Order: sequence, then structure tokens, then C-alpha cells
Amino acid sequence: MDFIFTDEQKMFRETVYRYGKEEIAPLCEDADLNGEFNFEIWNKLGEMGLLGLPFPEELGGSGADIVTCCLAGEALGHAGVDGGHMLALGAHTYLCAATLNTFGTQEQKEKYIPKLATGEWIGCMGLTEPGAGSDAAGLRTTAVKKGDKYILNGSKTFITNAPVAQVMVVYATLDRAQKHQGITAFIVEKDNPGFTTGQPFHKMGCRCSTTSEVFLEDCEVPLENCLGGEYKGWTMALSSVEWDRSTLLAPFFGTALYSLDECARYANERQQFGRPIKSFQAVQHRIANMKIFAEAAKLAIYRVASSKDNGQLLNPLQAAVNKMYVGDEGCNMATDSVMIHGGYGFMHEYPVERNYRDSRLGTIGGGTSDIMRMIVSRMMLM
Amino acid sequence: MIDFELTQNEKKLQQDLAAFCQREIAPAAANLDQAPRKEVAALVRKNIEKLANAGFLAVGFENDTIDMIRQYIAAEEIAKECASTFFSARASAFLCGGLIFMYGTSQQKEKYLEGLKGANVIGAFAYTEPGAGSDISGIETTAASQGDAWIINGVKDTVTNAPIADMFLVLAYTDINAGPEKGLSLFIVEKDTAGLSIGEPLDTMGMRGVPIAQVELNQCKSSQILGGEPGRGFMQLSRILELGRVSIAGMCVGIGSACMEKATQHAKTRKAFGREIGKYQEVGFKLADMYTNNDLGRALALRAAWAFNTEENEAEILASCAKVFAGEGLSKIANLAMQVFAGHGYIKGADIERLFRDAKIGEMIEGTTEVQRMLIAKNELDKFAQT
Repeated sequence: MDFIFTDEQKMFRETVYRYGKEEIAPLCEDADLNGEFNFEIWNKLGEMGLLGLPFPEELGGSGADIVTCCLAGEALGHAGVDGGHMLALGAHTYLCAATLNTFGTQEQKEKYIPKLATGEWIGCMGLTEPGAGSDAAGLRTTAVKKGDKYILNGSKTFITNAPVAQVMVVYATLDRAQKHQGITAFIVEKDNPGFTTGQPFHKMGCRCSTTSEVFLEDCEVPLENCLGGEYKGWTMALSSVEWDRSTLLAPFFGTALYSLDECARYANERQQFGRPIKSFQAVQHRIANMKIFAEAAKLAIYRVASSKDNGQLLNPLQAAVNKMYVGDEGCNMATDSVMIHGGYGFMHEYPVERNYRDSRLGTIGGGTSDIMRMIVSRMMLM
Repeated sequence: MIDFELTQNEKKLQQDLAAFCQREIAPAAANLDQAPRKEVAALVRKNIEKLANAGFLAVGFENDTIDMIRQYIAAEEIAKECASTFFSARASAFLCGGLIFMYGTSQQKEKYLEGLKGANVIGAFAYTEPGAGSDISGIETTAASQGDAWIINGVKDTVTNAPIADMFLVLAYTDINAGPEKGLSLFIVEKDTAGLSIGEPLDTMGMRGVPIAQVELNQCKSSQILGGEPGRGFMQLSRILELGRVSIAGMCVGIGSACMEKATQHAKTRKAFGREIGKYQEVGFKLADMYTNNDLGRALALRAAWAFNTEENEAEILASCAKVFAGEGLSKIANLAMQVFAGHGYIKGADIERLFRDAKIGEMIEGTTEVQRMLIAKNELDKFAQT
């Protein structure tokens, strides 16, 4: 048993934290207010190598392990980078590029990873459809092989990064009768004929990531852009989603650390009834809960991340517990942060307000808390 | 490098303990709960002796410092089968044995340690008083120096193991003017010391296999201060209770596992409206919440145990986090488990009915969750204190 990060990991986290605090966080408040994806932030993430961490060095990445990837997400969240840009990073690096890197052919990897690793190209992933959310296996987008192309038809929704992306990993079915076994992944570029995106949605939180529908109308995809092989899509989607239950959650945890710092600072400074509000037990109670959450969430996330690095099989129970706990309790912590700040917490100038909105996504995206409970209970009852 | 796996040795300990406790400890659990108060003492003492004979009473005492990971493993596995047995065994071997192991003079170690580890001597830790629990500085027991010895006067209540103890570690002020941190001392008092009287066993809601009673010290003479010098009692007491948070958390996870396994089994077999009740989300999701609370409670407690073993800075705070999480987690788990059983769990004699009553102790014993939160919050708030 070992709970200490390596010196290299610790130094890396510190570097990313400082960079995030000095270079990126100051840009986030306005971007969130305007609901804008900020290319300056994106480029800064790219310059620091934070968009391509897990990819091989020869493809422009850093060859980082999963724990290190999580540390980067944690550090950026802790530095005060908003949930929207972190979500954009997550969809780009983990949902799109990591899937390409794991399942792609050498040619596919060489074509896409270098551009994605720097952020020159932005990636997204299309699984969810208007009628297939938690029940993703029920997707209706079809792919038909026709000559030297696949022809894709259907629509996807809630696709993070779609309005700004150059490339998308799309899940479609070659045979609906085979249900989930018919699902196949394709690499679609935005210039492929028949590919269009809708207007970005106005979201409650994580407002800086652009999210829209994607329409595939007789969309032409070259044969060589089938990803991971025909009829292999479902396993790919599952495997990528399960590991993402660490990397995509790390920023939510980082944000909770940010809130804890902010609340502890505010509780020392803010005076009411002639004394700092930290002397009130209702405030202390919330601070203590945030610390307990921080310690438990850290274990939940790095247990999943380190198991991959240590060459163990993913434990789906641990992945589901992680998602459910960090998601659900993250919301409770965000609520407590607002309460400690009182009226100020209700104002946009205080990032705890933003975190309150952003944190909600932790219970929804990448498998709702309900789905996580379903997974855990099914495994317990087996 | 981050690694959550137990070592092969630790896994083996876990397996051996589980097998032993299922075979030897579990069968007595219901009887310990329901037997007349006067019989409990002999029954639990027998269980403690069984643990000792199997080498499972003083787990973690193999080296120079107490191995809290091994302590944790023992706590979870023993408490899963009988929380009362664990709690009583722990009061003797870990609280008293641990204090002597860490702070005793060589002569004190020689005289008591092997006995406590082998269950030939049962110890009781007498520190709480009618007017002082979480705020231990408020105790009224005093020790006045008289030649080479000390004369102790005071009343200790809710002393675990008092009805079966051969020796007591008694907290008293040797110098009340010096304040708690320098004025408190721990004394070793043997049970046949003149002036020591043990009250009738108390009747409790849960953990009914733990013999508990009041202890009165009336002009009790002791020449044995733990460690030989007065004024160290507060530090000694604080340390053992800090370490002890890990094993209390372990006990909670153990009871929680028992609740969860029984509820899961019931949900698999009990049918309603034509299918197993576990297949209904209202039941299945309760199982999932039980699992999550137990799983993360264990992770936090092992995290804290590891922090103690490696002397990390925030070990005590991590242990407080683990105790709050596992203690409150257990209350939730027991409540959910009872709900899964519904009416059949509510009947006297049902395992879950006993576990439900036992469960509450985690939030109260050895530093309530309220006190743990005070400590945790102070630690966080002080990081941003304005100078």
C-alpha cells in the first residue's frame, strides 16, 4: 500500500497548479459570464502540453500515466479553472483522442494524435442521441457500407466541443437488429459531406464548453476511418467511459479543493457579530465536511487511476462508486460553499457561485448517479 | 507510487481472521447480545481468550511500533462477526496494551504486556467521568502524592471491561494547577486494590456483549504512573485515542459489511410482486449506497492507518475523517439494511435488529463526530488564519 505520489508527480502537479492560477484562472470569470469557449485558454492548455498528456511522445504527447493525467485535472480545478474549459479538455483528450490512441491504426494515430495533442485540432465524441442517453445501446444512427465509403445517418445531441471541433469519434450501428453488438465507431471530420452541427446549447453550468447537436445526413466517411473494427464499438465505448470515470472526474475534485481553500479563507476574514464566522460551528461543520469529502474523493479517484497504471483490471464497482460519490457529494460541497459565503456566494464575482452550477454535471455526464447505483446494485446481486 | 493493494501478508491475515471469526466468534454473537447481564462477562472473556489463543488479540504489535494497517484489518474482520467481542478485546489489548506498549516502563511492560496480549490479564481504560467525556480536561479524579505512591480519588463511569478487568488505567490530575496537558497522569491500578469498587454492569441499547460499569476510587493507592513520570497522561491518552480512530472506523466498516451482506442476501431471495426485491430500484439503490459508504469508509480508514505507519503529518486528521465517515456511514447503512428487511428485521432475534442497535456506537464512542469535526475544521481553518 502506498498513498504518496512520486516526486515527479508532485512537482508536475505544482507546476500545473501555478500555471493554471496565474495564466488561466484570471480569464475564466468573464468567459463563464459570457458562456464563451476561450481560444486563448485553449491555446495556453495546449502550449503547456495539457491537451495531450497520455499520448506517446512520438505523437506529440507526454506519455503520462493516468495518475498524472488526473493530477493535471485536479491541479487545474484547484487553481480555479472553470468546469466548462475542463469539460472541453476532457471531451477532447479522453473521449476523443484517447479512444483514437487506444483503438486506432498506426495511420489513424499518426494522422490525428499530433494535431489533437497540441490543441491545433479539437476533438469530440458522439455517443448520446436524443433518444439514447443512459441507454446508449439504443442508439439509432446508422452506418451503411457503400463502395469505398460508409454512409452515416442520424443525429447526436449534447456533444461537447462539437461546434468547435475538427474531428469526431461517432458511434453508429451497422445493424440495429444486433442491438449493442451492431455498434461501430467512426472517425468523422467536420468537412466530411453531410456533417453539420447545431447552435450551441445554453447550459446551466460548465458554460464555457460548447455543446450542440450533430447532424449526419448521408454523411460520407472513408472506409479507412472505421475505428477499432466493425461491430467493436460497444466494447470500445464502455472501456473508454469506464476509465474516464477517473480522468474526467479529477477536475471536479480539484474544484472542491479550490472551494475548500476559498471557504477557509473567507471564514477567517468575514466578521459577523463581532467575530470571524469560522467561530460558528455551522461554518466549521461545513468546512469539516469539505475536508472529509476531499480525502474520500481523492481516494476514490486515484484508486481507479492507479489500478490502470499498475496494470490491474478495472474494477467496475470502484469506477461506479467513484463517479457516484464525487458527483453527488461534489454538489453538496458546492452548496455548502455557497452557504458559507452567504449573499456573496450568490453573486457571480465569487467563483463558488460558478462551482455550484458546474458541479451539477458531475451527477449527470458520463453516466448519471442513477446509472452508477444500477451498476453497483446489479453487481452486488449477481 | 500510488497503490491501494494490501500486501500478501496483510491479505493472508485478513483471510485467516475472517475464517477464524466466522467459525469461533460469530456463533456466540446473538447470545452475547441477549444473555442476562451477569453472564455476559464470562462469555465475552471467553471470546477474548479465543482470540488470544489464535494469535489475533494483539494484532499489529509485532514490531517496535503498532502497525495500524494490521490493527484495522483485525478490527473489521472481528467486528463483522461480533462487534461486542471486538470492542471489549480492543479496550484491553489495544487501549491498555497499546498504552503500555508505547509508554510503559520496562518493568511495567514486563509485568502487564504479555498478560494483556495473551488475555491472561484483561485491562480497562478508565478515563471518562460523569462530567467529562469529549472535554477530558474536566475530570475531577485526583491523585495526591504520598511518599513513593499516589492516593487516587474519583468516579469513572461507562468504563468498558470494568466488570471483567484485572487492571485499570486510570486518568487523574496529579497537578490540577498545571492544566490538562501537564497535570494529568495515567495510573495502573489493579482490581484488588483497596478502595476500588466496580458497579453493577450497565444495561445498554447496543453492543450488549461489552461489559461496562462505573468504577469508584476511594483512597486507592497506586505507585505505578504509566511511563514512570507524572504529567504525561494527556499526551498518552490523546495518542492512543488518535490511533484508535482507525480501529473504531474499522469496527464500523465491519458492522457495515455484516449489515450489507445480510441485506443483499435478503434482497436476492425475498420476492414481491413476482420478482426478487433487489431488482426494484428502491431496494437496489439502497444496496448501492450501503456499498459506497462501506467501501469509502474502508479506504479512508486504511489511508489513515497508512499515514500513522509512515508518520505523515496529517495522520490524526485523516483518522478523524475516517472515523466520521465510517461512523456516520454505518448509521446510514444499518438504517438502509433494516429498511430492506422491513418488518422481519424489526423482530427481536433478527441479526439486523442487533446490528442496528450496535451501529449507533460509531458516531459516539471515543470522540463524537461533533468533536472530530471540530478538530478537522480547526486544522483546515488554521491554514488560512490571519496573523
